[in-house]
Amino acid sequence: MSAGTNKKGWLKKLLLAGILLLVVGGGIAWYIFTDKFEDTAGTKAAYTVNALDLINEFKKDDSASNKKYAEQIITVNGRITSVEAADTTLNLKITNPEGSYIIFAFQQKDLAGVKKVKEGDSVSIKGSCSGGSYSEILETEYITFKRCSLNK
Amino acid sequence: MKKAILILALAATGTVFAQKKTTTSATVSFDATTKLDALPKAENKTVIASLDPKSGAVAFEAQIKGFQFGNPMMQEHFNGPKWLDSEKNPTSTFKGKITNLSDVHFDKDGSYAADIEGDLAMHGIVKPLAGKATIVVKGGAISATSDFTIKLADYSISNAGGKLADEPKITVSADFK
Repeated sequence: MSAGTNKKGWLKKLLLAGILLLVVGGGIAWYIFTDKFEDTAGTKAAYTVNALDLINEFKKDDSASNKKYAEQIITVNGRITSVEAADTTLNLKITNPEGSYIIFAFQQKDLAGVKKVKEGDSVSIKGSCSGGSYSEILETEYITFKRCSLNK
Repeated sequence: MKKAILILALAATGTVFAQKKTTTSATVSFDATTKLDALPKAENKTVIASLDPKSGAVAFEAQIKGFQFGNPMMQEHFNGPKWLDSEKNPTSTFKGKITNLSDVHFDKDGSYAADIEGDLAMHGIVKPLAGKATIVVKGGAISATSDFTIKLADYSISNAGGKLADEPKITVSADFK
């Protein structure tokens, strides 16, 4: 076998390896860039809590509660105290007697169900906890949720 | 009797317009997309805002982790140490005032162009910000919208090699109660 044939063989292998890398790399990039959040309704909750208990837990230790709950999927049970318009959508809110509150922003697909919720309704909501903070404007503790879904 | 009712009604109206208006469902969205990357855009629908019709004071508070992206990786990068670093700087705030308050008649239905100046705090840095807002007064309800841009460099945020717009567009809307 001549040196020229050997070189051609290596070049072929190199070319194939390059194409394979490109296909695999492209596939991974495509997967990452087109990835979307799963429907919260189908995601298992890390915690299930009572709304007023959650507010108290954040008020007691904001820092520890943020470490525990932030960016986790949590089911919150409680009584709605207000339904608020948020641009073209609706948020549900549960406020304790001192004015501290939890507010839930919903997935687009859940908005039809949210529109039926009224003040005073007992609900179960699953969503991604964005964490809690003390508001200087309202002078109270608040906790926000995003990508929420109403449990049936 | 009628006079007394009228005086009471006027007094009540005056009290309403003297009070600070707030909302916990203001919306802030940003668009930092470029030709290289269509993913960096997000929206936060649980922003706290206040407007004092008497003094013209305006304030906003937004949790950084409250920004909802379509793409999980982009949301992680946004909150990470190279971008907003939400662990260290969990909220962004704006404190300012309407500088042409006499042109905005909170006691009369209408649409008013307001000039707003203040300080925007983000990523641990506070910078002055000026912009325009449209304030709509209708039946005692007040709503406000504003579009403006910020410079990422002002807040020590990298444009990730051109993947992020150097001057993202920010849109704010609030229905005050």
